[in-house]
Amino acid sequence: MTTTPLFETKNLKKYFPVKGGILNRTKAEVKAVDDISFAINPGETLSLVGESGCGKSTTGRAVLRLEEPTDGEITFNGEDFRSLSKSELRDKRKDMQIIFQDPYASLNPRQKVKQILDEAMAIQGVVPKKDRPARIRELMDVVGMRPHQAERYPHEFSGGQRQRIGIARALSVDPKLIVCDEAVSALDVSTQAQVLNLLRDLQRKYDLTYLFISHDLGVVRHISDRVAVMYLGKIVEIADKKSLFDSPRHPYTRALLSAIPVPDPDEKSERIVIEGDVPSPMDPPSGCRFHTRCPFATDICKQEDPELRKTGDMADDHQAACHHMEEIVAQYGTTPTLPEEVGNE
Amino acid sequence: MTTKDHTPVLKVENLQTSFFTYDGEVKAVDGVDFEVRENETLGIVGESGSGKSITSLSVMQLIQSPGEIIGGKIELNGDDLLQKSKAQFAKYRGNRLSMIFQEPMTSLNPVFTVGHQVAETVKIHKKMGKREAHQEVIRMLKLVGIPAPESRAKSYPHELSGGMRQRVMIAMALACEPELLIADEPTTALDVTIQAQILELIKRLQESTGMAVMIITHDLGVIAETADQVAVMYAGEVVEQADVKTLFNRPLHPYTQGLMNSIPRHDVDVDELEVIRGTVPSPAEMPSGCRFAQRCPYASEICNTHPSLAAPSNNIDGHTDAGAVRCWIYTDEWDAEGNPMKNEEVQQGS
Amino acid sequence: MHIFIIRRLLQLIPVIIGVTLVAFLIIQLIPGDAAQVMAGEAASEEQLEQVRENLGLNEPLYVQYGLFLADLAQFDLGESVRTGQPVMELVAPRFWITLELAFWGLVVAVSVGLFLGILAANKQNSFRDFGTMAAAVIGLSMPNFWLGLMLMYVFANQLGWLPTSGWGDWQQIFLPAITMGTAGAAIIARMTRSAMLEVIGEDYVRTARAKGVKERFVIYKHALRNALIPVVTVIGLQFGYFLSGAVLTESVFSINGLGRLVVDAIAQRDFPVVQGTVIVLALTFVFVNFVVDVLYRVLNKRIELN
Repeated sequence: MTTTPLFETKNLKKYFPVKGGILNRTKAEVKAVDDISFAINPGETLSLVGESGCGKSTTGRAVLRLEEPTDGEITFNGEDFRSLSKSELRDKRKDMQIIFQDPYASLNPRQKVKQILDEAMAIQGVVPKKDRPARIRELMDVVGMRPHQAERYPHEFSGGQRQRIGIARALSVDPKLIVCDEAVSALDVSTQAQVLNLLRDLQRKYDLTYLFISHDLGVVRHISDRVAVMYLGKIVEIADKKSLFDSPRHPYTRALLSAIPVPDPDEKSERIVIEGDVPSPMDPPSGCRFHTRCPFATDICKQEDPELRKTGDMADDHQAACHHMEEIVAQYGTTPTLPEEVGNE
Repeated sequence: MTTKDHTPVLKVENLQTSFFTYDGEVKAVDGVDFEVRENETLGIVGESGSGKSITSLSVMQLIQSPGEIIGGKIELNGDDLLQKSKAQFAKYRGNRLSMIFQEPMTSLNPVFTVGHQVAETVKIHKKMGKREAHQEVIRMLKLVGIPAPESRAKSYPHELSGGMRQRVMIAMALACEPELLIADEPTTALDVTIQAQILELIKRLQESTGMAVMIITHDLGVIAETADQVAVMYAGEVVEQADVKTLFNRPLHPYTQGLMNSIPRHDVDVDELEVIRGTVPSPAEMPSGCRFAQRCPYASEICNTHPSLAAPSNNIDGHTDAGAVRCWIYTDEWDAEGNPMKNEEVQQGS
Repeated sequence: MHIFIIRRLLQLIPVIIGVTLVAFLIIQLIPGDAAQVMAGEAASEEQLEQVRENLGLNEPLYVQYGLFLADLAQFDLGESVRTGQPVMELVAPRFWITLELAFWGLVVAVSVGLFLGILAANKQNSFRDFGTMAAAVIGLSMPNFWLGLMLMYVFANQLGWLPTSGWGDWQQIFLPAITMGTAGAAIIARMTRSAMLEVIGEDYVRTARAKGVKERFVIYKHALRNALIPVVTVIGLQFGYFLSGAVLTESVFSINGLGRLVVDAIAQRDFPVVQGTVIVLALTFVFVNFVVDVLYRVLNKRIELN
């Protein structure tokens, strides 16, 4: 496959200053996103997955320049996205939309749904005023709501319906890429399933490209084509969905997968429990950032930051950043989880 | 594991808790029954608005105005809890039954050290002096796996991570060796690797003390992992109750089936997730019949009458211990009505 | 914490410069010739020149300000143009009286305010709540001097329980303190009530109940400690207002405090005294604010981290 990616970022960094001291000067930096690169092909869903503090949401905002990245390249549709001026950026926004976790916080409570949608279209100037009512009806239909519901205010809807409105707003300007930032995390499972199915149907219908950010590996498996696992600002493993879930290579990916409780009582407790908390991103461990919690860590892990790489039997677009991948595979194979005794050593 | 002949540690009968709002009475919990035995974990699962949290808060009598327990019976090892005065019941809380909550971030008092907060429990219930209480705090913090307990005891809650705070909550809850621990969404706010640690910890402590545990969650994975018995709640009622294996292998209630099929799993591929159409009915429009009927793919005439929670009458696959379900499909009336839908089809969740 | 205090102290520097500058400019901003205003219309040209000389009004403005600051650093606030006494000597004893008065006013405000606020919050929407809050509105809207006069009329003139005026005897404390504290009590009561209501809904209060803490301790230990955090700020501000607002109460009860001093000084156009009083009050206000900030920090452990 040699499709040109719709979106690509190289060496993306986002550092936040930590101020302190008597004169309130910058004392240190939180490296929320620290030199990551990935590309998304048109019509594809790439998921960023990881625990809190891994930098996945910051990445989502940085690639849209909602928060200006500290460094790195962003290419969108062949264009250098970072060199765009403020006004050019505003024009480009219609191609890249974002859906947030809490739809309620991102919808103006004083506007009716139709006003919300109308405003989104008016700002981007994509749909002439006279065509907008028809477009609003169409959008409501597309996200599975009834047209007359556009006359209501956001508070009159349930969480799932609000998320549908958020999706309708994103769709109103015909975007190419949608960043879904924990878009279904606040929803109950039955509603979550409805919204996930909707996102997938819309992708097929409009050939949308998604950057899907989530902490829920079940959701990620369902929606993604490819998955990147993040830990403390770094991508530790990136692969197509099948490789990642069926033969993960990074010990963190495996630990993550084995930590998720499976809704099947017969499959109980084939799990390793990794010790300790995620270290503070303000003071990340040296070398491999996972070494403080990794059951396989050796001296080299404390000193050298591993690069993303591929070893012999891995699928083409599968890469992981671990010094000991080969030994671990030789000893334990490539099952998604690791044998229990590993965690207890 | 489950020992049938024990008297239950906790026995809840026909619990009713309502909220009296300006819009009228909201029956958040409406006639709930269950039991939890020694060394056993009961999982209560349901979505938001199902009444699962209100149920657990009712057992602890932590319902605040405008909410009120308006009926039912709650017994702790034979002691009728609802008959106790406020002062009497305060002596039980944190002592004979305790609770941990969803938000470890906000559940600890920000202005006291964690050591002080754990010590408070033993000072109240065990009448320990300062020094003795301190020793006990260190012992408990060590027990729940907090590294360097001596210095951590002097920390304020904001200085600890979410996982550590939940450990502190557990130390506090278990300091007096309660007969019953209620865990209300204990890991929902935590990352999965931390969730695994906390669930493991609760299990380990249960094994050593033999306490009964009630775990409330929306996550069927957590249920499968931890519970022995499960109650599924929907719109203020228990709609299905069974031991964990029976429930997961053969969910009976259409709602339970829908719930299970709508979870995206990380270990299995599904092309299209099954959805439960519609949303939970609002309290104002609660149907008088089966509360799930509007969303149920099998709803029939008889569902306009409210079903009761009962063992399925028609023998299913020779299983005798099939728990209880609140659905007409599993009654003789359903068969008598000559409904086209056969039980077998429902059980396949088609 | 030390860093915080040092930073906060450094931030005081521009505030203090601003305050002294404004106080300094009081004399410059008097419409017309300051010397004329102070010396009176009948003053001769020599007398005016004498006043100008004494006040240094002939120097360029920045030199005047520099001299002013230099004097201030030595606690020299100049002399009264009426009596020739050093302003510092006039201000100091009266400052203590006002401080004492403000202190007792604060005692009334805090004790009554906290008590009523907790009482109201404890039984939200009850008769007790509405009654307390109605009383607070009345207390807040009652003019200070009128309240003083009424108290004096009832308790001194009619009942004869307490002296009508003066300062120094413990019995003379009550009426002025109540007069001063009433509005503050009302503000603190409302603040406490809303802070308590907010805190009572917090998860950690529920945790305290779940632990078996007696309801009394749930309220007075777990909830109140947290509710006090915003209330402390209000209390600190109240104290500042009391200092500057003492004028009316002092007039009503004939107390020889700073308020009286400044009123008399304005009437007699004794501007150095006005200036001196303003500086002392403003600096006290700044200092009280600083203490409140530090206290807020001590109470609220969470801020320290950020």
